[in-house]
Amino acid sequence: MRRRHNHPDVVPNHFHRQHTHTQTPSCPVSPLISSRFYTTTMPAPDKEIDLTERIEAFLSDLKRGGSGTGPLRGSAEMARETTALLRRIAAQARWSNAGDLMEIIRTEGRRMTAAQPSETTVGNMIRRVLKIIREEYARSRGSSEETDQQESLHKLLTSGGLSEENFRQHFAALKANVIEAINELLTELEGTTDNIKMQALEHIHSNEVIMTIGRSRTVEAFLKDAARKRKFHVIVAECAPFCQGHKMATSLSEAGIETTVITDAAIFAVMSRVNKVIIGTQTVLANGGLRAVNGTHTLALAAKHHSTPLIVCAPMFKLSPQVRSLCLPARGEILSKLITLFISNIGGHAPSYIYRLMSELYHPEDHEL
Amino acid sequence: MAARGGKQSRSGAGLSGRKGADEQEEEEQPLQAVLVADSFNRRFFPVTKDQPRALLPLGNVAMIDYTLEFLTSTGVQETFVFCCWMASEIKEHLLSSKWCRQSSPNTVHIITSEQYRSLGDVLRDVDAKSLLRSDFVLIYGDVVSNIDISSALHAHRHRRKMDKNISVMTMIFKESSPGHKSRCEEDDVIVAMDSKSQRILHYQKTQGLKRLQFPMNIFHNGSDEFEIRHDLLDCHISICSPQVAELFTDNFDYQSRNDFVRGMLVNEEILGNQIHMHVTKDGYGVRVSNLLMYDSVSSDLVRRWVYPLTPEANFIDQKGLSCTYSRHNVYRGSGVSLGHGSQMEENVLIGSDTNIGANCYICNSVIGNNCTIGDNVTLDHAYIWNNVHIASNVMISQSLVCDKAEIKEWVKLNKQCVLAYNVVIGPNMSLPEGTVVSMHHPDEEEEEDDDEFMSDDAAVGHSKDKAKLKVFNPAEVGVGGRGYIWKASSLDDTEDEEISQCLWGLVLNPDPESESEDSEPEDPDDPVIPSPEMEDVKVFQLEVLGTLQRGLEENISFDNLVLEINSLKYAYNITLKEVMQILTRVVLEYPFQQQGPQLTPSQYVGLLLPLLKKWAPVFKNYVKRAQDHLDCLSAFEEHFLEQESHWAAMVKVLMNMYQLEILEEETILRWFSQGATTDKSRQLRKNQGLSPTQPLSDSEQIHDHDTHAIKG
Repeated sequence: MRRRHNHPDVVPNHFHRQHTHTQTPSCPVSPLISSRFYTTTMPAPDKEIDLTERIEAFLSDLKRGGSGTGPLRGSAEMARETTALLRRIAAQARWSNAGDLMEIIRTEGRRMTAAQPSETTVGNMIRRVLKIIREEYARSRGSSEETDQQESLHKLLTSGGLSEENFRQHFAALKANVIEAINELLTELEGTTDNIKMQALEHIHSNEVIMTIGRSRTVEAFLKDAARKRKFHVIVAECAPFCQGHKMATSLSEAGIETTVITDAAIFAVMSRVNKVIIGTQTVLANGGLRAVNGTHTLALAAKHHSTPLIVCAPMFKLSPQVRSLCLPARGEILSKLITLFISNIGGHAPSYIYRLMSELYHPEDHEL
Repeated sequence: MAARGGKQSRSGAGLSGRKGADEQEEEEQPLQAVLVADSFNRRFFPVTKDQPRALLPLGNVAMIDYTLEFLTSTGVQETFVFCCWMASEIKEHLLSSKWCRQSSPNTVHIITSEQYRSLGDVLRDVDAKSLLRSDFVLIYGDVVSNIDISSALHAHRHRRKMDKNISVMTMIFKESSPGHKSRCEEDDVIVAMDSKSQRILHYQKTQGLKRLQFPMNIFHNGSDEFEIRHDLLDCHISICSPQVAELFTDNFDYQSRNDFVRGMLVNEEILGNQIHMHVTKDGYGVRVSNLLMYDSVSSDLVRRWVYPLTPEANFIDQKGLSCTYSRHNVYRGSGVSLGHGSQMEENVLIGSDTNIGANCYICNSVIGNNCTIGDNVTLDHAYIWNNVHIASNVMISQSLVCDKAEIKEWVKLNKQCVLAYNVVIGPNMSLPEGTVVSMHHPDEEEEEDDDEFMSDDAAVGHSKDKAKLKVFNPAEVGVGGRGYIWKASSLDDTEDEEISQCLWGLVLNPDPESESEDSEPEDPDDPVIPSPEMEDVKVFQLEVLGTLQRGLEENISFDNLVLEINSLKYAYNITLKEVMQILTRVVLEYPFQQQGPQLTPSQYVGLLLPLLKKWAPVFKNYVKRAQDHLDCLSAFEEHFLEQESHWAAMVKVLMNMYQLEILEEETILRWFSQGATTDKSRQLRKNQGLSPTQPLSDSEQIHDHDTHAIKG
């Protein structure tokens, strides 16, 4: 099951480049795209008030997130909203060079992550945008992308990375380039669930018994996509006390999948019949571990005991540079040794490979915001 | 206002696209709220003498901030904060908070006046200033909630659209079993509702009563499904229509929401207004109405029941107040130092820059900012506010220690102690359970009893002068102590007694007390005007008695008496039958009430007969039909059943009533032959010396003799 990647560079790094520049963004982001142009027409002070207002609204939404009173949403939506807000900051805030912009984004980013520490997606998107700014700056300076990518261990050690002074140079085209790159990131975010579910048929075979826990939108899409071609049986652990599993089971059975709901206590007993465990997660940690809904650890241990493969469906934006997880209610940590495979929007990866993806997605200096 | 509208449309189009179009077309008007930042009672006295209740810290955040956060998260865009007691402090707090920043989605208007003495005054002022344009949320400044009221709001609007503004209010209730910690026993209600329309038919505070009465007519209005529920917690959040303010203006005697609800339900058929309810199963919504509630809300907060309003969320967005969250609900602010061997067992919140010494044991407690705590201190259910100094070897259990208080060494605070601001206690002493210590002398209270809502700086200056004059009692507060003990026993007038009870909201003694309370107002010497919760019938009886008394003293003509009784009848919604019975009873009991219960039968008759003669026209006005006569007689019988020793007088009284043509012969005979249902009443009839076959005219002669005999 374990794949070896002998040539890490062959894996499409900068997968957001795989969408061509000519591609027009899809519908949900279109009203935001136009904002780039209207910034030039609006008077400056009003613009800034508008920006801070949006940031405040986003912060208070974050603080209320997940509760009955706040807007409830998936992490995919959260990632898109964060990125859209960061693009707005890039477009509307006052900055003259990359260093300024990075500082602004870092300051706001710190507030956003503090507002809801459990939502790692926000921090991840901030790191992605910071990385984009670094790259665009490097491109503007003329150093080619290729050389930047091939930062060897030796180079890292000797140069100590690009220091802040180096970002002080002004480039007229930088703003447009950064916004363009963030747009590409948004386009990539749009397609994550589709990219993951496209791989479903490679992993789910006919007459298999699949177990999952709770409700994950990604896993739901993944299973439903497989059900278009294959017949299989899904067992859903209800995930008490909130019992998100019930909702998941209803949704799956509506799609014509044979579904059984079990209590969390029955996980171990049923595991012997299961061919594969497919779960979602809240966060993928840098060491290849997970932070997922409570009960997942039980499931993972049971799967290990029965040597049942455990597959985690996690889009790339859930990849977080944290190694240890925070103490969070209703969330538990799962060690990487219990996980067989990660399926992300760019393909399948072993847990041991996560560190490499991490270095491609985020700049080491941005791990701590 | 145009600016706000513009702002909303922008945010609708941009960031939060999902809020988008459908909400916008529904809400042409921004949602408004009325936040009453005054409790209009003195439950937290003497703590609230120095700081208004809305600003008291709960989990190191002022209570009003929880309320405002709740309102903002429900989408309220304009909040009117009404302050009275210490308005300037509330204003100052709000102006420096995030709610008054330009970026706040909720515009806060602060309206202060020293004239407000009740919720009614506030709403009348709202009406006078015509601040509200559409449905609004009515809430107190001490409500902690995370309930999603959007569905209730939607239902309220829908009802208003369908029923042409009949529904005036939707009250939010949370399901919670009786006796739950977050239920305030004083606020326990029993509600009869129509299951389909969620309409409230009957609303009554139980007040520890075991027997409850429901008017029958609530079950006769068409619907076939009713629910009578006692498992509801009143969240003190209500969605009101703009008419509510007008109704408060129209009914100038409404003081509280309770008055309003009762008034609406009683006059439902006349005014056509209905009150609905919304019951939520999840969420949290509790009003901090006394210290016991403060205790339970505080611990619920630390146990994260009010998520996302958790201590580490720092939702008020104040710099330096963020704290970290770790296992077993332990929260630590920045700069907290914990000595060697100190334990934080569970559910502990420690504010920033607080120093804790060695070998302390802390559990279920909240400690404010900048406190110093010595070694070997045990804190259990302790609520310690900011800048408190606690020396070594102190034990505190279930107590409240306010700002800048100091506790010296070897002090033990037993349960339910309160140390108000700046108090110093100790060393080497133990405060008994329920001790309240304040820098204000309890005597000051009596002097300024009337102006409890006077402006705060005047009160402070006044009290400082006083404090210097009086000496602290070392037996009460220790050798180095500063402060005065507030005790229930030291305060003689009833109001203060109530207060000292209320600080911790003493458990209402269930049955015996409440029943005796009910019978109390019958005492005619009691000048206390009965509370509106008291049964209307009893109030009516008292009023009739008063009317007749005045009639005698001032020689008021019987027409006016009748007029007055009639108006009382409508005021208390009393049926004609009850009027008759009460009137009879009042008249018959009148001699006892004037002269005391030790009257002999002959004295009694002597006193009563002239009265009967005087009031005969009043009786005649009410007692007309045969049924009326019977009702009158049954009241008559009831009275004499209670006064066994006066049975001798009964015949004479009855005779007299017959002679005055109050009662007819036929009905007296009918009553005599039918009425007896119990042994005692049978005995009564026998005792009267009448046999059912004997015609009344005979007895008339006998009684003529009797009266002659008395005269002779």
